[in-house]
Amino acid sequence: MPAGVTQDALRAVDVRKTYHTRGAPAVDALRGVSLSLRKGERISLLGRNGAGKTTFLRIASTLLVPTSGTVEVFDLDAVHHPEQVRPLIAVVPQEGKPFFHLTPREQIYAYLRARGIDREAAKARTEQALDQMDIQEGADRLCITLSGGPKQRAMVATVIATEAPLLFLDEPTIGMDPFARRGVWDSLRRLTQKGSTILLTTHYLDEAEALSERLYVVEAGQVLVEGTAEAIKKQVGGTLKVSIANGTALIEELATFGEIVADGGTVNVVTAPERINEIMALTVSKGLAATVGPVTLEEAFLRIVGRSIDAE
Amino acid sequence: MAIAVRWTGMKTFVATETRVQLHEWLAIATGSLVQAALLVFVWVLNKDLLAPALIGALIYSVFLIGQRVLNEAAYIRIDHKLNELYHASPMTPESYFLGMSIGILIAYLPPIVILTLLLEIVRPLDLATLAALAATLLAVWASSSTLGYVISTLFKDMKTIWPYSSLLTNLFGIVPPVFYGIHFIDPALRSIVLVVPTSSAVALVEGVAGMESLTSGEYVLAGVSLAVEAVVLLSFGLYWARRTAREA
Repeated sequence: MPAGVTQDALRAVDVRKTYHTRGAPAVDALRGVSLSLRKGERISLLGRNGAGKTTFLRIASTLLVPTSGTVEVFDLDAVHHPEQVRPLIAVVPQEGKPFFHLTPREQIYAYLRARGIDREAAKARTEQALDQMDIQEGADRLCITLSGGPKQRAMVATVIATEAPLLFLDEPTIGMDPFARRGVWDSLRRLTQKGSTILLTTHYLDEAEALSERLYVVEAGQVLVEGTAEAIKKQVGGTLKVSIANGTALIEELATFGEIVADGGTVNVVTAPERINEIMALTVSKGLAATVGPVTLEEAFLRIVGRSIDAE
Repeated sequence: MAIAVRWTGMKTFVATETRVQLHEWLAIATGSLVQAALLVFVWVLNKDLLAPALIGALIYSVFLIGQRVLNEAAYIRIDHKLNELYHASPMTPESYFLGMSIGILIAYLPPIVILTLLLEIVRPLDLATLAALAATLLAVWASSSTLGYVISTLFKDMKTIWPYSSLLTNLFGIVPPVFYGIHFIDPALRSIVLVVPTSSAVALVEGVAGMESLTSGEYVLAGVSLAVEAVVLLSFGLYWARRTAREA
């Protein structure tokens, strides 16, 4: 690798964004976000509504000017020279919709042609994208006649068909059924196998886990945690969760095994595998029932973000 | 203002926008109702005024392209977010703005062609008048499309935009002498009317056609202001398209 050339598809350093609205206090949407995506990676941004995910994604995709910080896409300055970056990227906007008076086939083809892709390649990629998104059946119906899921699939298909080196997808599977979501996942995996890099935001934590090689948890405009789903789950103090029904009377004792979360009458203990036998012995001795399962990413997310909120 | 206009994707976007608009054929048809109604009134009341009213209807129809651009640009930005799809791509913001404006113009050509044919029937035009008509229509399209596009970028809600759309149409299309002759205007106010794109266009065409009497100074004022407005506004539109491709 020549000196100065990195393997990063996206590198963002200390990106800040403050919104100033007349008559209202300034809002810090991003407070120093730094992250990087290596070429061919699939990365998810997780966070609550308003955490700053979309703001970051829009800055990285040249649609929003940051207040400060640097963003480089394939070593090109996305902040000062967005026109150099744009041929290398494609974006599924949050809550974006296709042209209602085009069919999905027309929408995809027209967009590819607008990006300068020649007729033959555009036709081939359009058919491929329609197949991948499983919308061949409605491909020649006007988008206005399609329900929400197929409309969203048409949007995702439009962007996937570009095979752009770096794809930004803001909640790409919102409104899709589980089959369609898995279709999108497969398409995104195929794209990264071909060399594309993907940054997506999602509220579906199963999607983030199934699809992403690494995750960034964002809260209040800052990255709280970064790592693989497994690493993030470990950050909550264990990999297993023991749920004890009607176990509120045991909270003090159970707290010695790990972090406690009460959920109604059920007490959940996040702990390490080697402590399971002790907890089970305790609960059985008290005549209570307990179930053991893996800590989910959702639990880890809730815990990490919850701690941050408590700290603030 | 140095603007390096790049045309990537414009041809396709013109075709896309034309196709999208043609699906709304009813809007294209009903977009000519005001002109048709006014022409009927003129025909009933004074057939001698039909030719100038047809010229006014033509200029007004082309000016309405700006209103369509305003509505379309706002709709696909606010409701569909398609501007983001296109701006984060090799297609240039200039191509986006011009492609949309040209696409809408093409879709709305049928009523314009019909009005031109009617004018030819009512009063056959010589080459000079036809050339003046074509040039002024082009200038009005450039000015109104730019106004429409720029205004569309200033708001975040469709409902806020609607009154401006109506205001624009009435301020430039109904109030000044577009459907009525400039000779109805007080001489002291004629110079004001001749710098308004729509009424200057109508005055120029009607003057060349011999329907109105303009002094040479008025020809110069109308012609120069129309040309300058078209060039300056279109240049500003291209600059503005580029600037607003990224939110600040």
